[in-house]
Amino acid sequence: MPSNDPLPPKEGALFRKLLKCYELKQYKNGLKLAKQILSNPKYMEHGETLAMKGLTLNGLGRREEAYKYVRLGLRNDLRSHVCWHVYGLLQRSDKKYDEAIKCYRNALKWEKDNLQILKDLSLLQIQMRDLEGYKETRHHLFTLRPSQQASWIGFAMSYHLVRDYDMANNILETFSQSQNSIEAHDYRHSELLLYQNQILIESERLQQALDHLIKYEPQIVDKLAVRETMGDLYIKLQQQEKAVPIFESLIRRNPENVLYYEQYLAARQLTDPSAVVAAYRVFQEQYPRALCPRRLPLNVASGSEFRIVADEYLRRGLRKGIPPLFVNVRTLHQKSEKATTIEELALQYFENLTRSGHFSREDADAGVPVEPASALVWTALFLAQHYDYMRDTDRALEYINVAIDHTPTLIELLITKGRIFKHAGDPVEAYVWLEEAQSMDTADRYINSKCAKYMLRANMVSEAEEICAKFTREGVSAMDNLNEMQCMWFQTECALAYQRMGRWGESLKKCHEVERHFAEIVEDQFDFHTYCMRKMTLRAYVGLLRLEDVLRQHPFYFKAAKCAIEVYIRLYDKPLKSEATIEEIDIENLPPSELKKLRSKQRKAKKKAELESAQAAQAQVKREQHQKSKQQANQETDPDAPQLDELVADKLERTDDPLEKAIDFLKPLQQLAKERIETHLLAFEVYYRKNKLLLMLQSIQRARAVNPSHPELHSCIIRFMKSLAATIKQQPLNDHVQQVLDKATKELIGNRTPQQLNDEFIAKHNASILHLYEGARSLYELDHSKRAAAIKLVTSFNLSKMTLEEAIKVYTALRDGDVFGECDSEAAAYQQACHERFQYARVFRNVEELEAQLQEKEAAKLRAEEEQQQLNHINFSSSEQVSDSVTAAAAS
Amino acid sequence: MNIRCAKPEDLMTMQHCNLLCLPENYQMKYYFYHGLTWPQLSYVAEDDKGSIVGYVLAKMEEPEPNEESRHGHITSLAVKRSYRRLGLAQKLMNQASQAMVECFNAQYVSLHVRKSNRAALNLYTNSLKFKIIEVEPKYYADGEDAYAMRRDLGEFASEDRTKSKNAGDEETSGGDKASHRSGGHGHGHSHNHSGHDGHCC
Repeated sequence: MPSNDPLPPKEGALFRKLLKCYELKQYKNGLKLAKQILSNPKYMEHGETLAMKGLTLNGLGRREEAYKYVRLGLRNDLRSHVCWHVYGLLQRSDKKYDEAIKCYRNALKWEKDNLQILKDLSLLQIQMRDLEGYKETRHHLFTLRPSQQASWIGFAMSYHLVRDYDMANNILETFSQSQNSIEAHDYRHSELLLYQNQILIESERLQQALDHLIKYEPQIVDKLAVRETMGDLYIKLQQQEKAVPIFESLIRRNPENVLYYEQYLAARQLTDPSAVVAAYRVFQEQYPRALCPRRLPLNVASGSEFRIVADEYLRRGLRKGIPPLFVNVRTLHQKSEKATTIEELALQYFENLTRSGHFSREDADAGVPVEPASALVWTALFLAQHYDYMRDTDRALEYINVAIDHTPTLIELLITKGRIFKHAGDPVEAYVWLEEAQSMDTADRYINSKCAKYMLRANMVSEAEEICAKFTREGVSAMDNLNEMQCMWFQTECALAYQRMGRWGESLKKCHEVERHFAEIVEDQFDFHTYCMRKMTLRAYVGLLRLEDVLRQHPFYFKAAKCAIEVYIRLYDKPLKSEATIEEIDIENLPPSELKKLRSKQRKAKKKAELESAQAAQAQVKREQHQKSKQQANQETDPDAPQLDELVADKLERTDDPLEKAIDFLKPLQQLAKERIETHLLAFEVYYRKNKLLLMLQSIQRARAVNPSHPELHSCIIRFMKSLAATIKQQPLNDHVQQVLDKATKELIGNRTPQQLNDEFIAKHNASILHLYEGARSLYELDHSKRAAAIKLVTSFNLSKMTLEEAIKVYTALRDGDVFGECDSEAAAYQQACHERFQYARVFRNVEELEAQLQEKEAAKLRAEEEQQQLNHINFSSSEQVSDSVTAAAAS
Repeated sequence: MNIRCAKPEDLMTMQHCNLLCLPENYQMKYYFYHGLTWPQLSYVAEDDKGSIVGYVLAKMEEPEPNEESRHGHITSLAVKRSYRRLGLAQKLMNQASQAMVECFNAQYVSLHVRKSNRAALNLYTNSLKFKIIEVEPKYYADGEDAYAMRRDLGEFASEDRTKSKNAGDEETSGGDKASHRSGGHGHGHSHNHSGHDGHCC
């Protein structure tokens, strides 16, 4: 290795040993060797040795010293590619990829054809998606090592990624012609052929792709991919008749693939619903056990034909007792005509099963054998789920209770009952049923998870954690284990529960944990850049790269980010006071009884908080120990990932710049979740508070592009106009900005004043409560003296035409006083009205009623236990057999 | 219901499904490792809305010392409780097995199952014709023993299998749940890397 500051033979040999030790991860030996060189006064300041000493220290996890020595070494020998390379490696291990790329580039200035540096550079470039840079580096590597297979593959891929399909294809074509001996059943070769085929398809060269596939079919081992692609190409190339047998054989191979049926129908050019249903009937006979040919006709059939196929489908499912029967037809409910037919059929079954044990009177008259007794339970369950979907809580409960009376041990029934209460707005009653279900099958994690989720919906975080702990690793707290396992559903639900409880810091902590999982998953791809090239799984690899590009599009990220943004906005609007002043609530106006309650509540809360913080402290100690042992274990291996700052709830909720923090979560949404209007509405809320007029405008325009009639958009426009007027009043805007704003506002509201716009909006949307709500909000916003009118606008809306969610939105706005100012009496009256309309919803009930209910429940539980004890002495009833077969059927 | 080969973008949802259903969990990187090494072997079942309700995560193992050929291994298989009794687990397993034979010349497929998981045991022995090879004591992190099981894949070897085999979804009388080894131990990475070739992760 040439150096600008060469060592004499003895030290040179030591230095080579030092490099070897680093490669072999013998860091301690490496340090000794470095010391030997550096102890010679002549080479005390030898740059490359100092740099290598630093890198070796990094291997031992001594990062600070590592930086010190690497930088010192570099300073002493700025023209050494070794020093620059080492600095790059250090930055890379610290995940500072942009910095590392710069270092590698500097290293290459002094040693432009160094293979190792070029390879390392190419990895960082692809990781950072510097696709042009990647292309250059791969080209360079190719010219240096044209005999290596990996050079060709990387070269081709770099062109594929910048969508230069022709070049990518040419490279692969040339390469494959240079291959002379191909072994039988060569998986890697087969994958490479399919990758080339993918490139041809992406470049829209369909005929060429088809020819390629036909030519190489014998060499490709992934027969499924060949047939799927070939069939698709035949259809796209208008040679449908050739696609028909392909999809027939694919259906034979996997009769549960929806796409195969769609392609088959496309190949046969069948579009008439009756013809499609007939085609499915043929498959039903061919594959009597398959689900698809029975279920798919329900999507296409309509009218009387729908009734026939639905009747067959439902009877079969109810007879066999298939728990997912309802969820499998749920999407059909989007068409009200189909929902009605399904309801009629199920009611008919229920009536006839109750009367004669048959699904219909015709069956009874024809002397058909009676259905299994369990069919009635499944029908009742189906009806309960159906009415729950229609949000008819009373009827849903009626049927689920019939089912439970019939078979009290069937867990699915209890879960459904819980879900009905959840949808009806009573998360507490919902969780009670889930807990009951969970207690009946404690070995099943699915029901355990559902129970935990329902607990979180009822804001019972510690109970949820406790229940989850039954399935997490022993010796670690469930929270930590679930975090380690990247259990995002749990963390997101926790964040939302804390948000509802106003425990902002805890909520943010959970949101940040989810964000860190996403960062880690992006990081995860690093090792696969070289790995996949070697394994030749290039189609999957390109799939990974494309996935990682849009990873934060995932609903898990969206949910957590939305929660975090909302919390940060809330913290901006009402910053937390210092710890001491929190307790001081306005107690002057409280009656003595209320005051007493409040005091006792506060005492309890304080006790609970103390207990929790003691537990947290213990957990912290444990965590630290865990970390320490982890670090020790890693001492001699790879330098661990940089330690992230610990997330501390108290610090998170007392951040100095909540809006900037919100923007960190917002940015990925703006980039990747453009199609969701909530993204732009959230963006507006942030920029409105920062008084950024142009960004507010941008958010409004983007939201309008998604859905111009979204109700919230209106109040954004009104508030934007208000901010604009206020800003101009203070100081005139830059001419260009003013021009942009003028043009845009003209498009938004024409020549109207905000008041006029709002009046028109209210008049136009008088049938939609969500629009009226935004109108009312703006009415008050524009003129505080119109408060009464604004409140009346929303509270006078016919409650029977509102959904539960809408009523909650209006009520909480009144209750919290942050939309229309303080309006306690109106809120109380509205609560009462809502309670009459939505009798199960907890939010509309008052505290006394809830307490009374709780006591009643305790008493009922006691009574039930006593009854059960008595029952245990009596012989089992005759329904035993039925309930047994049903539970056996549903058991996991 | 739709059963299809898993794509990279399915892997996160498979992890979600795994965390809901099974005690043995793995970090995302382990799913990527499967999906990027043996992209043909893992399958998912999705509902009408496209949410994943069940999956099989599978891989290949190097030959045992006294064997010549490679064999497949089921790392994890789960179906959400709300979608059980449709025979999804069996269908997922058959698709994965077919791919093991076609793409990797697998002679048999192996798996581990908790001794106490009677439903899964029933699925494997009765519906899928797995045989118990041995008991692996304390295989799971919580100390439970595992049955090591195998199924010969000879029936998948001929390309044109009989119809009954293809659509051979005999009814599953048990549930669709099988648990495999918990990561749980070791530092940081709680997935089990035993048997993987060490090139990755």
